[in-house]
Amino acid sequence: MAEKKRYFLEPAVLGRLIALPLQARQAMLGNVSGKHRSPIRGSSLEFDQYRKYVPGDDTRRLDWRTWGRSDRFYIKQFEADTNLRLCLLMDTSGSMDFGTEGATRFDYARKLAGSLGYFAAEQGDAVGLWSLATKRVEIPARRGPAHLGQVLDQLGELKPAGGTTLIEALHEAAEKVRQRALVVIFSDFFVAPAELKSAFQHLRFRKHDVAAFHLLDQQELDFDFDRPARFLDMEGGETMLADPSLIARNYREAVRRYIAEMEEVIRTTGVDYHRVRLQENYEGALARFLLARIQNHPRR
Amino acid sequence: MTFLQPVVLIALPVAALPVIIHLIHLYRRRQIKWAAMIFLRAAQQMNKGLSRLRQILILTLRVLAVAAIILVAGRPLAGGWLGLTGGAPDTVLILLDRSASMEQKDMATGVSKREAGVRNLAKAINDTTGGHSHVVLIDSALEKPLALDRADALLDVPQTGATDTAADIPGLLQAALDYITTNKTGRTDVWLLSDLQQSDWEQGSGRWPALRNAFASLQGVRFHLLCYSQGADGDLGVTVNHVTRRETESGAELLLDLRITRRIKPGEHPDPIDVPVRFVVNGISTVAKLTVKESQLVLQGYTIPIDKGTRRGWGRVELPADAFPANNVFHFVFDDPPVLRSVIVSDDPAESAPLQAALEATADPSRKYVATTLGVAHAAEIPWAETALIVWHAPLPKPGEAIARQLQEHAAAGRDVIFLPPEAPDGTELFGLHWENWKTAPAAVQWWRNDAGLLANTRDGKALPVGTLEMTRYCTVGGEGTPLARMSGDETVLMRAEGDETGGGAYFLGVLPGSGSSSMARDGVVMFAMLQRALNEGAGTLGKARQGFAAALALGPDPSLWHQAEAGAEPIIPPELPLRAGVVASGDRLIALNRPPGEDVTQTVPVAALNDLFAGLDFRVVTGTLEDTRSLTNEVWRTFLLCMAAAILGEALLCLPPRRSKMPGGEKIAAAAAPWGEKEAA
Repeated sequence: MAEKKRYFLEPAVLGRLIALPLQARQAMLGNVSGKHRSPIRGSSLEFDQYRKYVPGDDTRRLDWRTWGRSDRFYIKQFEADTNLRLCLLMDTSGSMDFGTEGATRFDYARKLAGSLGYFAAEQGDAVGLWSLATKRVEIPARRGPAHLGQVLDQLGELKPAGGTTLIEALHEAAEKVRQRALVVIFSDFFVAPAELKSAFQHLRFRKHDVAAFHLLDQQELDFDFDRPARFLDMEGGETMLADPSLIARNYREAVRRYIAEMEEVIRTTGVDYHRVRLQENYEGALARFLLARIQNHPRR
Repeated sequence: MTFLQPVVLIALPVAALPVIIHLIHLYRRRQIKWAAMIFLRAAQQMNKGLSRLRQILILTLRVLAVAAIILVAGRPLAGGWLGLTGGAPDTVLILLDRSASMEQKDMATGVSKREAGVRNLAKAINDTTGGHSHVVLIDSALEKPLALDRADALLDVPQTGATDTAADIPGLLQAALDYITTNKTGRTDVWLLSDLQQSDWEQGSGRWPALRNAFASLQGVRFHLLCYSQGADGDLGVTVNHVTRRETESGAELLLDLRITRRIKPGEHPDPIDVPVRFVVNGISTVAKLTVKESQLVLQGYTIPIDKGTRRGWGRVELPADAFPANNVFHFVFDDPPVLRSVIVSDDPAESAPLQAALEATADPSRKYVATTLGVAHAAEIPWAETALIVWHAPLPKPGEAIARQLQEHAAAGRDVIFLPPEAPDGTELFGLHWENWKTAPAAVQWWRNDAGLLANTRDGKALPVGTLEMTRYCTVGGEGTPLARMSGDETVLMRAEGDETGGGAYFLGVLPGSGSSSMARDGVVMFAMLQRALNEGAGTLGKARQGFAAALALGPDPSLWHQAEAGAEPIIPPELPLRAGVVASGDRLIALNRPPGEDVTQTVPVAALNDLFAGLDFRVVTGTLEDTRSLTNEVWRTFLLCMAAAILGEALLCLPPRRSKMPGGEKIAAAAAPWGEKEAA
C-alpha cells in the first residue's frame, strides 16, 4: 500500500543523485548535530577564528601555543554543525493539474519534492510538508524514517484542485515555521509578481532559506494553437473564447512581462529560484538545484 | 438602385450567413483546460479593441461579399442620376422642353438635344421602372398631361416632336404640380429634360418660390434634371424685324430689316465669313452672299425686287445648315399695312384729350393712325375687328355682360386694352384684376419693369423717365397679374393681366394722364411711348398678313382652319401647325410664324443656379452632351463583382495568420523561461 503511494519516487534517480548533498545556503539552527553550519560556535573539527579571552570563557578552549608566543590569551573557536529543517511547500491549486494524466505539473512537483525529502532524510535532516491550498495539509518538519514515510505518503495523496491561495498560504507558512528552515516551494506562481514579492520577503524576514521551483509548461509559454478555442480556467471554471491567431502575439508579450517581473522579484528577495519546463527530465532539474547549492555554500 | 432581376433580392438575407456560421462556430469550439489564464486575460485585455474591430471587419467583409454576389445576380442598374433612386416610383412625370433651342444638333450624328434626351429618358425609365410605373408626359408646347402605356412610347408620340416654340419651365412645373395634386400620384419621379436656356427658365420669376413651397409640401416627389446646356459655337441665326412693300418707278420691292447673328465665345475675334443667304418670296428664291465680320450683321432696308402686281405674299430668309437649324430660317409675310386704329372710351374730355393726341401722333410716317373717343354709353360702337388698342376709362363692366365678353375676346385676339381707373371703383374684377382705392398724396414710381413690356428701355438701352413722373393721386391695382410699375409700399399702379398668349394684352394703369392726377400728359414721353407700344402690340394682329410666334394658341383655338401657304413645304399635321415655324394661310389671311426671340438667347442657367431654384427639394442634376451616346442607365454588376473581390481580398488579408516561426520573442520566451543553469550554460 505504502509503495503505491510513493510511486513518484524513482530509485534509479535517487541512487544517482544521493551522492549530492542537500546544502543550505545559510546557517541553520538545528536541534541535533548535522551536516549544516550553525550560527552558534561549536566543537566541530573545522576551525573558525581566534578571539580574545574574556573572563567566563571555558579555559579548555584557550590556545596555549598562542599564549606561549604572544603572552596573551586567545580563545580558539570552531564551527558548529547542525541539521536543517526542510519544509516542502506544495501548491495544490487547480492549475497544478495542467498536463496529461500522469504527467501533470503536480506530478512533476511531487517527484521533485519527494526526492528532495528523501535526500534530506538520508542526510539526517528533518522533513515537513505543507500544501498551499484551501484544504491545508501541515506536517511539521521532523527527523526519522517513519516521519519521512508519513510525508511521502501524504505527498502521494495530495490532489490539486480549486482556486489558488498561494500568497496567503506563503504568509501563513512564514509565520508557522518558527525556526530557520530550508523552505522549498513548488508552484506555477500564476499570481501577480508584486504580491509574490511580499510573500517571499516575509519568508526571508523569518531567516528562512527560500527556494522556489517555478514549473511551467512550454505550451503555456508559446501558446501555440492553430484554431480558436474556448479556454476553461482550471482554477475557477471561467471560460474565455480566444482566437490564438489574434492574441498569440499579446499573450507572448504578457508572458515576457511576467517573467521580467518575476526576475525582478527574485533579484530583490534573494530566493533560490529555479524555472523548470515540464518537458525536461526532473532528474536534471534536481541535479542543477543540488549542484547550485553546493557552489553557493556559505562561508561564515 | 434598381434591378433587372429584383426577385433575386429575396435572397439578400442569405448575406447574414457568415454571421450565423460565425455564431455556430462560436458555440462549437473545442474546450481546452487552461492554467495560465493570467496571461490569457492580459492578452485579451491588450487585444480587446483591435481584435474586436478586426473580427467585425472580417464578418462585415464576408457579409458584403455574399451580398455583392446576390446583387450581381439581381443585375443592378445605375448611372449618373439614376443611382440610388430607391426602386420604381408610382408615377413617372416627364417634363419635356420642346423649345426651338432644343433642336440644336450634333453635326456628326444629326441627333438633336431633344431627340437624344428623349431617347435616353425612354430607355432609362424603361430600365428602371420595368413598366411598373405610371408614365405621364407634359411637354412645354401644349402643357397638357399625356398618359403613356410605357416609356418607349416617348419615341413615337407627336408630343415629343420638334417645335419652334418657347418653353415656360415654371409653367411646366406648375402643370406638373397641378397634375400631382389633382391625381394624387403617390411616389412620383419628375424628370425634366431641358437645355437650361435662360429665357425659358425665367430665373427671376416670382413663380419659383411658390413652386418650391408647393413641391416641398408634397411627400415623395423627386426631381431628376437632365440638362443639355452645351452651346453651338459658330452658329448663325437670322431674324427679320421689319418687312415693307414699296413701289418704285420700275416696279416694286420688299424692304427687309434683317439681322444675322453669329455665336462666338466671349473675347473671341473671329475672321469674317461669307454667308450665302437665300431669299424666297412667294416661292421664288434668290441667293446673295453676305459677309459677317463680327458677331452680327445688321442690314436695314435690304431690297428684294418683286413684281409690281404682287401686293401681298409670303417669304423667308434662309441660312446654310448648321448645328442649330431652328434659327437658320425666318419667315415673313407682307401686305398693305393696316390702319393703326385706337378707341378711347371715356366721358371725361380732360383725360381723353391727351390720350387721343398721343395715339394720333404719327410715329411711323408710312402708317396711318386713327384715334376715336367714344362716350361710355356708346362703347358698343367700337369697331372691334379694326381696333388695335382700346383705352377704357370707365367703370369695369360686370363679368358676363356683353361688353365684358367683347373686351376679353378683343384681348384674346391679340389686341390690347388699357384700363384706366374710374372715379368710384366698385371692386368689379375683369381679367383677374380689379381696382382698389384711390390714394391722394404726392408720390412717384419706385420700381418699373424695364426689360420688357410697356415701360421697357428704348432700343438704345436708355430708360424711360418713369421715375420723374409726378403723381398727386393714383388708384392701386389688385389681383393676380404681372406688375410693371409699383409705388412705394409695393402698391402696383401698372399691371398686365395673365393669360395673354397671343401677343395682345390687358393692362391696368392706375394713373390718369390729366393734370389733376399726374404729370403724364405734361411730360408726355412716358405716356407716348406706352400708348404707342400698346398700339403697335395690338396692331400685330390687325390686317390680313401678320407676323407671329410659334405657340399653342398662335392660330387661335382651332388650328385646323389653317393650312401651309407654301404648296411644296414639308407637310405638318394641323395640331402641330401653330407650333412650327412657317407661313400658314386661312382664307385671305396670312400668318408667318417664327421662333420667339428668346430662343436665340445664348445664355443658359448655370447648373449651380439650379441649387437655388430647387432649394429644399429632392433633386439631382445630370448634364449630358450630344456627343455622349452612353445610356443613362448601365448594368453595374462589374462594380459589384469588384466590390466582392475587394471584400474577399480584404477578408483574406485580415485572416492571415501571424508568422509562426517568427512569433514575437517566441524563442526569447523559451530562453527567458529556461532555468538559470541552462542560461548560464548557454
